[in-house]
Amino acid sequence: MSAMLEVNALQKTYFKARFDRTPTFQLGADFVIEKPSIVGMMGPNGSGKTTLFELITGSNRPTAGEVLVQGKNIHKVRTDQRDRLAIHYHQSYQVRSFRSLKPNMLMQPAGSDYPLVHLFDEPQFNTQDGYIGFMLDFFRKLRADGRLVFLCVHPNERFHLEILQEICEQFIFVQKGVVTQHASYEDVLNYEPARDYLGQLLTDRAA
Amino acid sequence: MALFEAHSIHKRFGSRVVLEDISLSFEEGQVSGIMGPNGAGKTTCFHCLTGHHKPTRGRILFDGQDITGKAPQRIARMGVSRSFQLMNLFDDSSVIENIILALPDFRRRFAQATRSVFDDRDLLEQALEVLDQVGLLGQEWAPSQSLSYGNRRALEIGVALAAKPRIVFLDEPTSGLGAEATRQLAALINTLRSKYTIVMIEHDMRFLFELADKISVIHWGQVIAEGTPGELQSNKWVQRSALGEVA
Repeated sequence: MSAMLEVNALQKTYFKARFDRTPTFQLGADFVIEKPSIVGMMGPNGSGKTTLFELITGSNRPTAGEVLVQGKNIHKVRTDQRDRLAIHYHQSYQVRSFRSLKPNMLMQPAGSDYPLVHLFDEPQFNTQDGYIGFMLDFFRKLRADGRLVFLCVHPNERFHLEILQEICEQFIFVQKGVVTQHASYEDVLNYEPARDYLGQLLTDRAA
Repeated sequence: MALFEAHSIHKRFGSRVVLEDISLSFEEGQVSGIMGPNGAGKTTCFHCLTGHHKPTRGRILFDGQDITGKAPQRIARMGVSRSFQLMNLFDDSSVIENIILALPDFRRRFAQATRSVFDDRDLLEQALEVLDQVGLLGQEWAPSQSLSYGNRRALEIGVALAAKPRIVFLDEPTSGLGAEATRQLAALINTLRSKYTIVMIEHDMRFLFELADKISVIHWGQVIAEGTPGELQSNKWVQRSALGEVA
Protein backbone atom coordinates (compact mmCIF):
# COMPACT_ATOMS: atom_id res chain seq x y z
CA MET A 1 0.00 0.00 0.00
CA SER A 2 1.45 3.38 -0.99
CA ALA A 3 1.80 6.23 1.49
CA MET A 4 -0.89 8.96 1.38
CA LEU A 5 1.72 11.52 0.39
CA GLU A 6 5.35 11.21 -0.57
CA VAL A 7 7.39 14.32 -1.25
CA ASN A 8 10.62 12.98 -2.71
CA ALA A 9 13.71 15.22 -2.95
CA LEU A 10 11.47 18.03 -4.12
CA GLN A 11 13.22 21.21 -5.23
CA LYS A 12 11.86 24.47 -6.50
CA THR A 13 14.18 27.26 -7.51
CA TYR A 14 13.11 30.69 -8.65
CA PHE A 15 15.65 32.59 -10.73
CA LYS A 16 16.23 36.30 -11.12
CA ALA A 17 15.23 36.28 -14.74
CA ARG A 18 14.94 33.87 -17.62
CA PHE A 19 18.55 34.47 -18.69
CA ASP A 20 20.03 35.51 -15.37
CA ARG A 21 20.18 32.18 -13.55
CA THR A 22 20.95 33.66 -10.14
CA PRO A 23 18.65 31.87 -7.72
CA THR A 24 16.37 34.23 -5.78
CA PHE A 25 14.50 31.60 -3.79
CA GLN A 26 15.00 27.91 -3.17
CA LEU A 27 12.63 25.46 -1.55
CA GLY A 28 13.61 21.91 -0.66
CA ALA A 29 11.32 19.28 0.82
CA ASP A 30 11.56 15.57 1.50
CA PHE A 31 8.99 13.91 3.72
CA VAL A 32 6.42 11.13 3.82
CA ILE A 33 3.01 11.01 5.43
CA GLU A 34 1.89 7.42 5.58
CA LYS A 35 -1.65 7.55 6.90
CA PRO A 36 -4.67 9.86 7.03
CA SER A 37 -3.82 12.67 9.40
CA ILE A 38 -4.26 16.35 10.21
CA VAL A 39 -0.95 18.10 9.67
CA GLY A 40 -0.33 21.63 10.92
CA MET A 41 1.89 23.87 8.84
CA MET A 42 3.59 26.99 10.12
CA GLY A 43 6.30 29.35 9.01
CA PRO A 44 6.96 33.04 8.40
CA ASN A 45 5.49 34.82 5.39
CA GLY A 46 7.54 34.27 2.28
CA SER A 47 9.11 31.08 3.59
CA GLY A 48 7.62 28.89 0.88
CA LYS A 49 4.44 27.43 2.41
CA THR A 50 2.18 28.36 -0.46
CA THR A 51 4.77 27.25 -3.02
CA LEU A 52 4.90 23.85 -1.27
CA PHE A 53 1.09 23.58 -1.42
CA GLU A 54 1.14 24.46 -5.12
CA LEU A 55 3.77 21.79 -5.77
CA ILE A 56 1.67 19.20 -3.92
CA THR A 57 -1.47 20.01 -5.95
CA GLY A 58 0.46 20.07 -9.20
CA SER A 59 -0.33 23.70 -10.06
CA ASN A 60 3.38 24.58 -9.81
CA ARG A 61 6.14 22.57 -11.50
CA PRO A 62 9.09 21.40 -9.42
CA THR A 63 12.66 22.07 -10.56
CA ALA A 64 13.52 18.54 -9.38
CA GLY A 65 11.97 15.70 -7.39
CA GLU A 66 8.43 14.39 -7.31
CA VAL A 67 5.17 14.38 -5.38
CA LEU A 68 3.26 11.10 -5.08
CA VAL A 69 -0.34 11.16 -3.89
CA GLN A 70 -1.18 7.59 -2.93
CA GLY A 71 1.52 6.44 -5.31
CA LYS A 72 0.47 8.66 -8.23
CA ASN A 73 2.86 11.31 -9.49
CA ILE A 74 0.64 14.40 -9.41
CA HIS A 75 2.55 16.09 -12.22
CA LYS A 76 1.75 13.21 -14.54
CA VAL A 77 -2.00 13.28 -13.87
CA ARG A 78 -4.35 15.02 -16.31
CA THR A 79 -4.49 18.70 -15.40
CA ASP A 80 -8.29 18.70 -15.37
CA GLN A 81 -8.32 15.88 -12.79
CA ARG A 82 -5.54 16.89 -10.40
CA ASP A 83 -8.08 18.48 -8.06
CA ARG A 84 -9.56 15.04 -7.54
CA LEU A 85 -6.32 14.05 -5.82
CA ALA A 86 -5.33 17.22 -3.99
CA ILE A 87 -7.06 20.57 -3.44
CA HIS A 88 -5.39 23.79 -2.35
CA TYR A 89 -7.94 26.01 -0.56
CA HIS A 90 -6.61 29.54 -0.85
CA GLN A 91 -8.27 32.93 -1.18
CA SER A 92 -9.43 32.36 -4.73
CA TYR A 93 -9.31 28.58 -4.56
CA GLN A 94 -12.31 28.20 -6.81
CA VAL A 95 -10.27 29.01 -9.88
CA ARG A 96 -8.23 25.98 -10.89
CA SER A 97 -5.63 26.59 -13.51
CA PHE A 98 -2.89 24.15 -14.33
CA ARG A 99 -0.26 24.43 -16.97
CA SER A 100 1.34 21.48 -18.63
CA LEU A 101 3.45 20.90 -21.69
CA LYS A 102 1.79 17.60 -22.43
CA PRO A 103 -1.80 17.24 -23.67
CA ASN A 104 -4.23 15.67 -21.18
CA MET A 105 -4.90 12.65 -23.37
CA LEU A 106 -1.30 11.55 -22.85
CA MET A 107 -1.55 11.78 -19.07
CA GLN A 108 -2.99 9.54 -16.36
CA PRO A 109 -6.53 9.78 -14.96
CA ALA A 110 -6.86 10.68 -11.28
CA GLY A 111 -8.73 7.49 -10.45
CA SER A 112 -10.64 9.28 -7.71
CA ASP A 113 -13.68 11.56 -7.55
CA TYR A 114 -13.07 13.13 -4.20
CA PRO A 115 -9.66 14.54 -3.27
CA LEU A 116 -7.37 12.56 -0.99
CA VAL A 117 -5.29 15.53 0.13
CA HIS A 118 -6.89 18.79 1.34
CA LEU A 119 -4.56 21.74 1.84
CA PHE A 120 -6.11 24.65 3.76
CA ASP A 121 -4.05 27.79 3.25
CA GLU A 122 -4.65 30.24 6.11
CA PRO A 123 -8.43 29.84 6.39
CA GLN A 124 -10.23 32.84 7.85
CA PHE A 125 -10.78 32.05 11.50
CA ASN A 126 -13.09 34.39 13.35
CA THR A 127 -13.92 33.62 16.97
CA GLN A 128 -17.16 35.60 16.77
CA ASP A 129 -19.15 33.71 14.17
CA GLY A 130 -18.77 30.13 15.36
CA TYR A 131 -17.60 28.80 12.01
CA ILE A 132 -14.25 27.73 13.50
CA GLY A 133 -16.04 24.89 15.25
CA PHE A 134 -17.63 23.72 12.00
CA MET A 135 -14.34 23.96 10.11
CA LEU A 136 -12.51 21.91 12.73
CA ASP A 137 -15.26 19.29 12.66
CA PHE A 138 -14.89 19.16 8.90
CA PHE A 139 -11.14 18.55 9.17
CA ARG A 140 -11.86 15.71 11.61
CA LYS A 141 -14.48 14.25 9.31
CA LEU A 142 -12.10 14.32 6.34
CA ARG A 143 -9.49 12.52 8.39
CA ALA A 144 -12.02 9.94 9.60
CA ASP A 145 -12.95 9.37 5.94
CA GLY A 146 -9.35 8.49 5.20
CA ARG A 147 -8.15 11.86 3.84
CA LEU A 148 -5.01 13.82 4.56
CA VAL A 149 -5.53 17.37 5.80
CA PHE A 150 -2.95 20.15 5.89
CA LEU A 151 -3.82 23.21 7.91
CA CYS A 152 -1.55 26.16 7.26
CA VAL A 153 -1.86 28.86 9.89
CA HIS A 154 0.22 31.98 10.37
CA PRO A 155 -0.41 32.35 14.10
CA ASN A 156 -0.78 35.95 15.18
CA GLU A 157 -3.30 35.40 17.94
CA ARG A 158 -3.39 33.05 20.89
CA PHE A 159 -6.41 31.12 19.64
CA HIS A 160 -4.55 30.21 16.44
CA LEU A 161 -2.15 28.17 18.57
CA GLU A 162 -5.08 26.66 20.46
CA ILE A 163 -6.55 25.52 17.16
CA LEU A 164 -3.27 23.94 16.03
CA GLN A 165 -2.76 22.26 19.38
CA GLU A 166 -6.34 20.97 19.47
CA ILE A 167 -6.50 19.46 16.04
CA CYS A 168 -3.09 18.78 14.49
CA GLU A 169 -1.40 15.43 15.04
CA GLN A 170 1.89 16.36 13.44
CA PHE A 171 3.58 19.43 11.98
CA ILE A 172 5.54 20.75 9.06
CA PHE A 173 7.62 23.85 9.66
CA VAL A 174 8.87 25.94 6.76
CA GLN A 175 11.49 28.62 7.04
CA LYS A 176 13.53 30.19 4.24
CA GLY A 177 12.71 27.29 1.98
CA VAL A 178 13.76 24.62 4.50
CA VAL A 179 11.00 22.14 5.33
CA THR A 180 11.13 20.11 8.56
CA GLN A 181 8.71 17.49 9.86
CA HIS A 182 7.73 17.20 13.53
CA ALA A 183 5.82 14.40 15.23
CA SER A 184 3.77 16.50 17.66
CA TYR A 185 2.93 19.98 18.92
CA GLU A 186 5.49 19.63 21.73
CA ASP A 187 8.06 18.54 19.18
CA VAL A 188 7.64 21.54 16.96
CA LEU A 189 7.84 23.84 19.99
CA ASN A 190 11.18 22.24 20.87
CA TYR A 191 12.52 23.18 17.45
CA GLU A 192 14.42 26.41 17.91
CA PRO A 193 13.47 28.20 14.67
CA ALA A 194 9.79 27.47 15.41
CA ARG A 195 10.14 28.73 18.98
CA ASP A 196 11.79 31.92 17.76
CA TYR A 197 9.08 32.38 15.15
CA LEU A 198 6.27 31.99 17.68
CA GLY A 199 8.20 33.93 20.35
CA GLN A 200 5.73 36.46 21.58
CA LEU A 201 2.69 34.16 21.43
CA LEU A 202 4.41 31.53 23.58
CA THR A 203 5.36 34.02 26.26
CA ASP A 204 1.79 35.37 26.17
CA ARG A 205 0.70 31.97 27.31
CA ALA A 206 3.19 31.93 30.15
CA ALA A 207 1.98 35.33 31.30
CA MET B 1 -36.03 8.00 2.01
CA ALA B 2 -36.14 11.78 2.37
CA LEU B 3 -38.51 13.85 0.22
CA PHE B 4 -35.60 15.61 -1.50
CA GLU B 5 -32.04 14.35 -1.83
CA ALA B 6 -28.88 15.57 -3.50
CA HIS B 7 -25.96 13.18 -3.97
CA SER B 8 -22.38 14.41 -4.53
CA ILE B 9 -23.24 17.53 -6.52
CA HIS B 10 -20.22 19.04 -8.27
CA LYS B 11 -20.57 22.26 -10.24
CA ARG B 12 -17.95 24.08 -12.22
CA PHE B 13 -18.14 26.99 -14.62
CA GLY B 14 -15.12 26.51 -16.88
CA SER B 15 -12.04 26.50 -14.64
CA ARG B 16 -14.03 27.90 -11.72
CA VAL B 17 -15.28 25.25 -9.31
CA VAL B 18 -18.11 26.43 -7.07
CA LEU B 19 -19.48 23.19 -5.64
CA GLU B 20 -16.94 20.56 -4.78
CA ASP B 21 -19.12 17.78 -3.47
CA ILE B 22 -22.49 18.46 -1.86
CA SER B 23 -24.85 15.85 -0.46
CA LEU B 24 -28.02 17.01 1.27
CA SER B 25 -31.36 15.54 2.25
CA PHE B 26 -34.57 17.28 3.31
CA GLU B 27 -37.22 15.36 5.24
CA GLU B 28 -40.92 15.85 4.56
CA GLY B 29 -42.61 18.25 6.98
CA GLN B 30 -39.35 19.72 8.29
CA VAL B 31 -37.77 23.14 8.11
CA SER B 32 -34.20 22.69 6.86
CA GLY B 33 -31.59 25.41 6.82
CA ILE B 34 -28.48 25.91 4.73
CA MET B 35 -25.95 28.39 6.00
CA GLY B 36 -22.44 29.39 5.13
CA PRO B 37 -20.12 32.37 4.75
CA ASN B 38 -20.20 34.60 1.66
CA GLY B 39 -18.94 32.85 -1.42
CA ALA B 40 -19.45 29.39 0.08
CA GLY B 41 -21.64 28.32 -2.84
CA LYS B 42 -25.07 28.52 -1.19
CA THR B 43 -26.91 30.20 -4.03
CA THR B 44 -25.28 28.05 -6.72
CA CYS B 45 -26.30 25.04 -4.66
CA PHE B 46 -29.91 26.30 -4.62
CA HIS B 47 -29.83 26.89 -8.37
CA CYS B 48 -28.67 23.30 -8.87
CA LEU B 49 -31.34 21.86 -6.57
CA THR B 50 -34.15 23.72 -8.34
CA GLY B 51 -32.91 23.09 -11.87
CA HIS B 52 -31.66 26.59 -12.67
CA HIS B 53 -28.15 25.19 -13.04
CA LYS B 54 -27.31 21.75 -14.28
CA PRO B 55 -24.76 20.07 -11.97
CA THR B 56 -21.52 18.96 -13.60
CA ARG B 57 -21.67 15.68 -11.63
CA GLY B 58 -24.06 14.22 -9.08
CA ARG B 59 -27.74 13.31 -8.78
CA ILE B 60 -30.84 15.03 -7.42
CA LEU B 61 -33.89 13.04 -6.35
CA PHE B 62 -37.34 14.42 -5.54
CA ASP B 63 -39.78 11.94 -4.06
CA GLY B 64 -37.62 9.13 -5.39
CA GLN B 65 -37.55 10.47 -8.96
CA ASP B 66 -34.33 11.56 -10.61
CA ILE B 67 -34.77 15.25 -11.54
CA THR B 68 -31.10 15.94 -12.36
CA GLY B 69 -30.78 18.27 -15.32
CA LYS B 70 -34.54 18.67 -15.81
CA ALA B 71 -35.78 22.15 -16.81
CA PRO B 72 -36.72 24.39 -13.87
CA GLN B 73 -40.34 24.75 -15.00
CA ARG B 74 -40.71 20.95 -15.12
CA ILE B 75 -39.25 20.64 -11.64
CA ALA B 76 -41.57 23.41 -10.48
CA ARG B 77 -44.60 21.61 -11.93
CA MET B 78 -43.61 18.49 -10.01
CA GLY B 79 -44.06 20.45 -6.78
CA VAL B 80 -40.78 22.26 -6.10
CA SER B 81 -41.26 26.02 -5.52
CA ARG B 82 -38.64 28.63 -4.84
CA SER B 83 -38.17 32.28 -4.08
CA PHE B 84 -35.26 34.38 -5.26
CA GLN B 85 -32.84 36.62 -3.40
CA LEU B 86 -34.01 39.57 -5.46
CA MET B 87 -37.70 40.33 -5.23
CA ASN B 88 -39.60 38.77 -8.07
CA LEU B 89 -43.00 40.45 -8.08
CA PHE B 90 -45.18 42.31 -10.57
CA ASP B 91 -44.93 45.70 -8.91
CA ASP B 92 -47.76 47.40 -10.78
CA SER B 93 -50.17 44.57 -10.13
CA SER B 94 -52.23 44.16 -7.01
CA VAL B 95 -51.29 41.73 -4.28
CA ILE B 96 -53.98 39.27 -5.27
CA GLU B 97 -53.07 39.38 -8.97
CA ASN B 98 -49.53 38.34 -8.10
CA ILE B 99 -50.94 35.29 -6.34
CA ILE B 100 -53.50 34.43 -9.02
CA LEU B 101 -50.83 34.45 -11.72
CA ALA B 102 -48.97 31.76 -9.79
CA LEU B 103 -51.95 29.44 -9.22
CA PRO B 104 -51.72 26.25 -11.27
CA ASP B 105 -55.47 26.49 -12.01
CA PHE B 106 -54.98 29.95 -13.50
CA ARG B 107 -52.15 28.70 -15.63
CA ARG B 108 -54.27 25.81 -16.85
CA ARG B 109 -57.18 28.07 -17.79
CA PHE B 110 -55.04 30.82 -19.22
CA ALA B 111 -55.28 29.40 -22.74
CA GLN B 112 -59.05 29.61 -22.71
CA ALA B 113 -59.26 32.88 -20.81
CA THR B 114 -62.28 34.59 -22.26
CA ARG B 115 -63.31 36.44 -19.14
CA SER B 116 -61.60 38.37 -16.39
CA VAL B 117 -59.97 36.26 -13.71
CA PHE B 118 -61.82 38.34 -11.16
CA ASP B 119 -65.10 36.78 -12.27
CA ASP B 120 -63.75 33.36 -11.37
CA ARG B 121 -64.79 32.79 -7.79
CA ASP B 122 -62.76 29.64 -7.47
CA LEU B 123 -59.48 31.35 -8.39
CA LEU B 124 -60.26 34.24 -6.09
CA GLU B 125 -60.95 31.92 -3.21
CA GLN B 126 -57.74 29.99 -3.75
CA ALA B 127 -55.78 33.24 -3.88
CA LEU B 128 -57.43 34.57 -0.73
CA GLU B 129 -56.59 31.35 1.07
CA VAL B 130 -52.90 31.80 0.17
CA LEU B 131 -52.99 35.43 1.28
CA ASP B 132 -54.54 34.30 4.55
CA GLN B 133 -51.65 31.87 5.05
CA VAL B 134 -49.05 34.60 4.61
CA GLY B 135 -50.94 37.18 6.65
CA LEU B 136 -51.85 39.58 3.81
CA LEU B 137 -55.61 39.26 3.96
CA GLY B 138 -57.14 42.73 3.85
CA GLN B 139 -54.45 44.08 1.53
CA GLU B 140 -55.34 42.04 -1.52
CA TRP B 141 -56.22 44.99 -3.74
CA ALA B 142 -53.25 47.16 -2.79
CA PRO B 143 -50.63 47.57 -5.52
CA SER B 144 -47.81 45.24 -4.50
CA GLN B 145 -45.26 48.06 -4.71
CA SER B 146 -47.09 49.89 -1.92
CA LEU B 147 -46.38 47.09 0.56
CA SER B 148 -43.68 47.36 3.20
CA TYR B 149 -40.50 45.45 2.47
CA GLY B 150 -41.44 42.77 5.02
CA ASN B 151 -44.89 42.33 3.48
CA ARG B 152 -43.41 42.12 0.00
CA ARG B 153 -41.27 39.26 1.26
CA ALA B 154 -44.42 37.60 2.65
CA LEU B 155 -46.14 38.10 -0.71
CA GLU B 156 -43.20 36.53 -2.45
CA ILE B 157 -43.50 33.50 -0.20
CA GLY B 158 -47.21 33.53 -1.04
CA VAL B 159 -46.35 33.39 -4.74
CA ALA B 160 -44.17 30.35 -4.06
CA LEU B 161 -46.98 28.71 -2.06
CA ALA B 162 -49.63 29.47 -4.70
CA ALA B 163 -48.09 26.81 -6.91
CA LYS B 164 -49.21 24.27 -4.26
CA PRO B 165 -45.72 22.91 -3.81
CA ARG B 166 -44.63 19.88 -1.84
CA ILE B 167 -41.36 21.61 -0.98
CA VAL B 168 -40.52 25.32 -0.86
CA PHE B 169 -37.01 26.72 -1.21
CA LEU B 170 -36.45 30.23 0.16
CA ASP B 171 -33.28 32.07 -0.86
CA GLU B 172 -32.11 34.38 1.98
CA PRO B 173 -35.60 35.32 3.15
CA THR B 174 -34.30 37.82 5.75
CA SER B 175 -32.08 39.75 3.34
CA GLY B 176 -32.85 43.45 3.48
CA LEU B 177 -35.24 43.06 6.42
CA GLY B 178 -34.91 45.00 9.67
CA ALA B 179 -35.18 43.42 13.11
CA GLU B 180 -38.95 43.81 13.39
CA ALA B 181 -39.67 42.50 9.88
CA THR B 182 -37.32 39.56 10.55
CA ARG B 183 -39.31 38.72 13.69
CA GLN B 184 -42.55 38.82 11.68
CA LEU B 185 -41.04 36.59 9.02
CA ALA B 186 -39.96 34.08 11.69
CA ALA B 187 -43.53 34.06 13.02
CA LEU B 188 -44.85 33.50 9.49
CA ILE B 189 -42.51 30.57 8.89
CA ASN B 190 -43.59 29.08 12.19
CA THR B 191 -47.21 29.12 11.03
CA LEU B 192 -46.30 27.55 7.67
CA ARG B 193 -44.17 24.74 9.06
CA SER B 194 -47.12 22.47 9.84
CA LYS B 195 -48.29 22.58 6.20
CA TYR B 196 -45.13 22.69 4.11
CA THR B 197 -41.65 21.25 3.76
CA ILE B 198 -39.37 24.29 3.80
CA VAL B 199 -35.69 24.74 2.93
CA MET B 200 -34.03 28.10 3.61
CA ILE B 201 -30.65 29.49 2.70
CA GLU B 202 -29.69 32.05 5.28
CA HIS B 203 -26.68 33.76 6.58
CA ASP B 204 -28.56 35.08 9.58
CA MET B 205 -27.51 32.21 11.84
CA ARG B 206 -29.76 33.27 14.73
CA PHE B 207 -32.79 33.13 12.46
CA LEU B 208 -31.92 29.59 11.38
CA PHE B 209 -31.06 28.40 14.88
CA GLU B 210 -34.49 29.57 15.99
CA LEU B 211 -36.49 27.99 13.16
CA ALA B 212 -34.75 25.04 11.56
CA ASP B 213 -35.17 21.39 12.51
CA LYS B 214 -31.88 20.63 10.80
CA ILE B 215 -29.06 22.83 9.51
CA SER B 216 -26.37 22.08 6.93
CA VAL B 217 -23.32 24.33 7.00
CA ILE B 218 -21.72 24.88 3.59
CA HIS B 219 -18.18 26.15 3.10
CA TRP B 220 -15.57 25.51 0.41
CA GLY B 221 -18.35 24.11 -1.80
CA GLN B 222 -18.93 21.25 0.65
CA VAL B 223 -21.12 20.41 3.62
CA ILE B 224 -18.75 20.98 6.53
CA ALA B 225 -21.20 20.36 9.37
CA GLU B 226 -24.76 19.20 9.83
CA GLY B 227 -27.16 18.73 12.71
CA THR B 228 -29.99 20.11 14.80
CA PRO B 229 -29.48 23.65 16.11
CA GLY B 230 -28.81 22.10 19.52
CA GLU B 231 -26.12 19.80 18.15
CA LEU B 232 -24.39 22.58 16.25
CA GLN B 233 -24.56 24.93 19.21
CA SER B 234 -23.00 22.44 21.57
CA ASN B 235 -19.70 22.82 19.67
CA LYS B 236 -17.23 24.48 22.00
CA TRP B 237 -16.12 27.08 19.44
CA VAL B 238 -19.74 27.99 18.77
CA GLN B 239 -20.20 28.36 22.52
CA ARG B 240 -17.27 30.78 22.58
CA SER B 241 -18.72 32.87 19.74
CA ALA B 242 -21.54 35.39 19.72
CA LEU B 243 -23.88 32.54 18.77
CA GLY B 244 -23.26 30.67 22.00
CA GLU B 245 -25.60 33.12 23.71
CA VAL B 246 -28.58 32.28 21.53
CA ALA B 247 -30.97 30.05 23.44
